[in-house]
Amino acid sequence: MTVALASGRVAVGRGLWLAPLLLGATILAGTAIGETRLPFTVVLRTLANHLWGAGYPVDGIEAGIIWSYRLPRAIVAACCGAGLALTGVVLQALLRNPLADPYLMGLSAGASTGAVLVAVAGIGGGVVSMSLGALCGALLAFGCVVLLAHAVSGGTGGGRATQAAAAIILAGIAGSQMFNALTAFTIARSANAEQARGIMFWLMGNLSGIRWEDVGACLLVSLAGIALCLWHRRGLDAFTFGADGAAALGINVPALRGSLITATAIMVGVLVSKVGAIGFVGLVVPHAMRFLVGTRHDRLVPASALAGAVFLVAADVISRILVPGQVLPIGVVTALVGAPAFALILIRGARR
Amino acid sequence: MKIEVRMLSARVHRTPLLKDISACVESGEFFGLIGPNGSGKSTLMRCLAGLQRPVSGRILADGADLSTMPARSRARRIAFVEQQADTTDRLSVRDAVALGRTPYLSPLRGWGADDDAAVTGALRAVEMTAFADRLWHTLSGGERQRVHIARALAQDPDLLLLDEPTNHLDIRHQLSLLALVRALPITRVVALHDLNQAAACDRIGVVLGGRLVATGCPHEVLTETLLADVFGVAALRHPAPDGSPQLHFSHAL
Repeated sequence: MTVALASGRVAVGRGLWLAPLLLGATILAGTAIGETRLPFTVVLRTLANHLWGAGYPVDGIEAGIIWSYRLPRAIVAACCGAGLALTGVVLQALLRNPLADPYLMGLSAGASTGAVLVAVAGIGGGVVSMSLGALCGALLAFGCVVLLAHAVSGGTGGGRATQAAAAIILAGIAGSQMFNALTAFTIARSANAEQARGIMFWLMGNLSGIRWEDVGACLLVSLAGIALCLWHRRGLDAFTFGADGAAALGINVPALRGSLITATAIMVGVLVSKVGAIGFVGLVVPHAMRFLVGTRHDRLVPASALAGAVFLVAADVISRILVPGQVLPIGVVTALVGAPAFALILIRGARR
Repeated sequence: MKIEVRMLSARVHRTPLLKDISACVESGEFFGLIGPNGSGKSTLMRCLAGLQRPVSGRILADGADLSTMPARSRARRIAFVEQQADTTDRLSVRDAVALGRTPYLSPLRGWGADDDAAVTGALRAVEMTAFADRLWHTLSGGERQRVHIARALAQDPDLLLLDEPTNHLDIRHQLSLLALVRALPITRVVALHDLNQAAACDRIGVVLGGRLVATGCPHEVLTETLLADVFGVAALRHPAPDGSPQLHFSHAL
């Protein structure tokens, strides 16, 4: 990674074929490293046993930790990292706002509220899953934010694109505050002390409860997200000089915005319902990748997805080993690592 | 490309900004659009670019109705350079010009040799070939405007729309940019603030309060009476050495 960082754009551009290798290595590392460090050979043997019945003799407990606990956790972490980084790429491109990310837009807050309403207040009577609740929350939050932004800027037509971009961020802040308050209200009303502690932990991002049955949905939304972003890569590029610029280049702006932002809301809803609201990935990873591979989305989308995945798996490992005997919320680690890294990137970028 | 505007009316946020505009721009013509601030020039440009849907009336591009034309086909024929289009992205000049190829590319049809040729040609046309690898944010205002025009030319359009392209440029860049636009072989519609620059157009149209109040050759339109009525200034007109009208403004009325 350091070599790629040093030699900059070209190295990463040419090295995109390395992505699966790097991702695989990260997931393996995420599986091997933890409170009890397991040798790579044991990890590889366990995988071989499960994937093609190789029949190596391995310790049953170790195999259980690797296969049922750490591997799905690492895969879900990778999916969440990739998905959250992509939502940042999409929102920053479409809204022409470097601060846009699922947090600022209130999407994560809405998803949290939806998930908490289902899990704690029992809305939906057990029929509605937490994912669906989170998804509805994310869409509802986004709807509120868009309506508010629309009311503030008096529509999005005319030469008011810049104003509209500022309005949507302000509306996003208002929306996040409201939905966070609703979440806190729901917890205070309906949860007992133990539940409340668990929920607060989950809200900061927690991968402890991840099992194989969670992997499918996360893998599906993140892979579909990557495919959709790559399909619309030129549309995203066309927004470089704003929405009007994109329209003048023949992009159907309302259709593209609608479909990509809905996809973003779905991604955030599903991912937040599984792992809670993990901050900073959507904001930092796309910026970091723009410095490395440039602003064109044919490179930025795969690079951000990969970097987000690697970043979140690494953050998860750190959250497990930083304080012995205790697992930190992963959101704490992403913010602690991400904020200084972001500052460094900004300073280096300014000097170039 | 021949552009016909028939009884065009447009509104922005329920405010009527254009009323019953009818005009015709011939193929290959250099058409200037003048008018005071807020007269509706930009709205008319946006309508011509297909970015703004008119409330009533039609715009015909070589006889084809603009409102029913798919956005991609429209973008292959009409290119628009906005008044204020900036970016915080760190992209190279070549990448900025390459955006002009967007209407020719699809998710499945990749970048090809003809796209490279179009970008190289557009950079050469605006004399920015030497700047191809420079980053956007290191360019001056005049250089950026040239890159915008190169991006528009990379669209290989039949009609080029420029909304006040000389704004915020120093006089040398204003003149060189206008000379560049004047030499292009396609139809051009240019909104201009400087009336002496407008005098160099083939024909001009004057917009006031959302209506097209005059069209014609510069020497027919830019009369001292019209300048007093439309712009509220007292002006003296002299013939320039090349015969075009030259205006000297003395005071606001």
